[in-house]
Amino acid sequence: MAEIKSMEHSTLKVPYEVLNKKFRVAQKNLDRELDQIQHSSRDVENLITRTKILPTVDEVGALVGNVVDRIQILKRKAGESLLEELNAGLVCKRKIQHLKVIVPPDSNVCYDAWQASIDQWKRTRMDRIVIEYLLRRGYYETAECLARKSDIRSLTNLEIFHTSREVEEDLFKHKTLKCVLWCNDNKSKLRKINSNMEFSLRVQEFIELVRSDNRVEAVKYARKYFQSFEKTQLRKICKCMALLAYQPNTETEPYKTLFSEARWNDLVLNFRNENYRLFQLSTQSLLSVAIQAGLSSLKTPQCYSPNCKNPHCPVCQEDFNKIARNLPYSHCVQSRLICRVTGLPLNEHNLPMMLPNGQIFGQLAVPEITREDGAVVCPITNTKFSSPKVEKVFVM
Amino acid sequence: MQSADVEALNAVGKELDRVIYKLKDIRENAAAEIADVATLLEELMKVLNKAEQEMSGTINTSTQVDAPSDVDDPMADEADMQVEMEPAKPRLNDCQVKHVLDTLHKANERLQRISAEHRDLHGAVSKVGKVIDRNFVSDFTATTRVDALQDEENLMLLNKVMAKHYCRQGMDDVARLLIKESGMPEEMAQEVFDSESSFAEIYRIWKGIQQQELGPALEWATRYSEELIAKNSTLEFKLHRLAFLQIMSRGISAQAEAIAYARKNFGKFIDRFEHEIPNLMGCFIYLPMGIDNSPYKHLISPQVWMEASYVFMKDACHTLGISKNSALSVVINAGCTALPALLNIKQVMQSRQVLSIWNARDELPIEIDLDPEYRYHSIFACPILRQQTTEDNPPKKLTCGHVISNDALHKLSNGHILKCPYCPVEQNADDAVRIYF
Repeated sequence: MAEIKSMEHSTLKVPYEVLNKKFRVAQKNLDRELDQIQHSSRDVENLITRTKILPTVDEVGALVGNVVDRIQILKRKAGESLLEELNAGLVCKRKIQHLKVIVPPDSNVCYDAWQASIDQWKRTRMDRIVIEYLLRRGYYETAECLARKSDIRSLTNLEIFHTSREVEEDLFKHKTLKCVLWCNDNKSKLRKINSNMEFSLRVQEFIELVRSDNRVEAVKYARKYFQSFEKTQLRKICKCMALLAYQPNTETEPYKTLFSEARWNDLVLNFRNENYRLFQLSTQSLLSVAIQAGLSSLKTPQCYSPNCKNPHCPVCQEDFNKIARNLPYSHCVQSRLICRVTGLPLNEHNLPMMLPNGQIFGQLAVPEITREDGAVVCPITNTKFSSPKVEKVFVM
Repeated sequence: MQSADVEALNAVGKELDRVIYKLKDIRENAAAEIADVATLLEELMKVLNKAEQEMSGTINTSTQVDAPSDVDDPMADEADMQVEMEPAKPRLNDCQVKHVLDTLHKANERLQRISAEHRDLHGAVSKVGKVIDRNFVSDFTATTRVDALQDEENLMLLNKVMAKHYCRQGMDDVARLLIKESGMPEEMAQEVFDSESSFAEIYRIWKGIQQQELGPALEWATRYSEELIAKNSTLEFKLHRLAFLQIMSRGISAQAEAIAYARKNFGKFIDRFEHEIPNLMGCFIYLPMGIDNSPYKHLISPQVWMEASYVFMKDACHTLGISKNSALSVVINAGCTALPALLNIKQVMQSRQVLSIWNARDELPIEIDLDPEYRYHSIFACPILRQQTTEDNPPKKLTCGHVISNDALHKLSNGHILKCPYCPVEQNADDAVRIYF
């Protein structure tokens, strides 16, 4: 399996979902406007055919005028929504092109230049991954700033999260309006994924009516909205209705939980999840998955033993060290030895040598740790050996 | 980038192109049709207006009892009994009625066709989604048995690592915003800004080269000239070459300056770059017509700048002994290499229903083939047991110099006597010594 295939699903799927949505919106707009045109045409027909006497030119003219006006509206609406749809398609295309950027080296490009372009691409990829994570965590300003600074706005999904940010802020303020609008906006899709977001919202609104002691209003509200959920949520509706009998400060469960302010925070989390599902984003962010896979593949037992640390190794650094504590170690069936003095691999050109204390270094490092008087100082334990026997070691 | 990636991207690209192509077509078609229908109806309006004018001249004398009268008209009561004073409205004749109906009918039919055409696009659009799903992995989760990034403490540590990374990249404002939005504790935030200052200068210069600004880079390279030469770095020459070409690109007027620059700076590279320097001098031939029209135009392409910045980053970090990449980028890039392999093995293990083996061990199920530069520690895998050695099962050197793990040593020894598995030497198992890599 290859890197792009395994990691870039959401990079393409999200703009695709946008395209799909724009397609449906465009279709809806077209059909609605055409309906209107048909409607006003029918008015003309009715006028002409229903009356026995022929209609006056005036009347017909006015009604035909209506049709003409409607067609102008269609023209504008169709133009707008088809353009939006096309742009959504082009956004998809741009993302594919971004992913395609890395081409195998050809003879015209020298190695350094090729490496440089890969390096640049990886940098951009990392910024993309980080931005997605920041958005998921709700650090919108940071994400915005990073996208601006590294100039990759067009490669991110900032727009989608922008809407969700507004909804979330609204919910944090204990307001439901924007979320209700969002539910309406995505109604068919939400139904398809069996979302209970709208129901949770309606329940919250009901709870707020009860809390403010508008119990009659609450009943009216329930009559209006709960019916459509009757099939799937009847049990929950029953519990909700029971709230009418309790005071907001009740200690009885489950009514206490329903009345609790924390339910608003659950709504925010619920909303976030539903939004991911809507755009087919996975529940875990790519950053979190990539970091854990990366830490595991770098993690060795040495990272956790105090005198074997390598300052360049990320897992040896304090922060990652803690994060990686419970992750699995890397797996290795073939020895891979590196000299701790020179950083060079140990192989037939740089044979491993053992000091009397069992510490192994490369042949090339021996002159570096030998003093002028022939004494050798072990760089790990600082033990001094005067003219020691440095033995060759054979590693298969 | 692997061929599977290219194939997957091409598959999606093909479907998407189809949609875009059709969509462009529909859009143009719709605009034309709507405009056409609109003119059709406007003409109809004109015909009606004309008819009204013509007819009002001829029949305004005839009286109509049933002409619509305005009920709000104050004159209505008075006019009740007498003949309508207003001129009668002209009426359509049969032929005109037919024309109106026909035109409307046709207009509606044509407009409906636009909608139908657009609706037909649905198949193509949803195909794109299907091809994406088929070619890309949607669920990359659960490659690890525990999710370390769940508890708040680790999440905050991750924020700190990210802040450090962006601080190091010279994007202090990103780091500051992150600290603010994540509510990072004061002392952690302080650590972020203290940690990466040595890298900041390198990063600034690197960024400068990308923006085609050479001054600071040249100054740095001159300062570390000796070290760079010792490492056989091409950096200094590459920078001077860019500076030279920058002068050259100003055209013929800069010729004297360019020659002076070459005399002054290329001298010390003569031995190492005996082929490149003649090439550069060759540019003078094409100076009058501009280097971008010459065989040397590859020397001034944007890639050259990117390459120079890359070489600078690599060699400068090497010279100063600091890591070229931040911890975060090393981990993420390693993760990006590891993920495909892990997903693959997960799939295989799942299909054979042995996924539990993975969960039972404290190790990844496969070896990840990382870049050699990402290898920071020696790992000794026992050649007999094919296992990494650990504190409990350390590597041991036999008297003959061969290294095996402690467990293997116990398995192979017969009482105290051990025959080395790699050479004929027989020895006392107790003589093996523990070694450290």
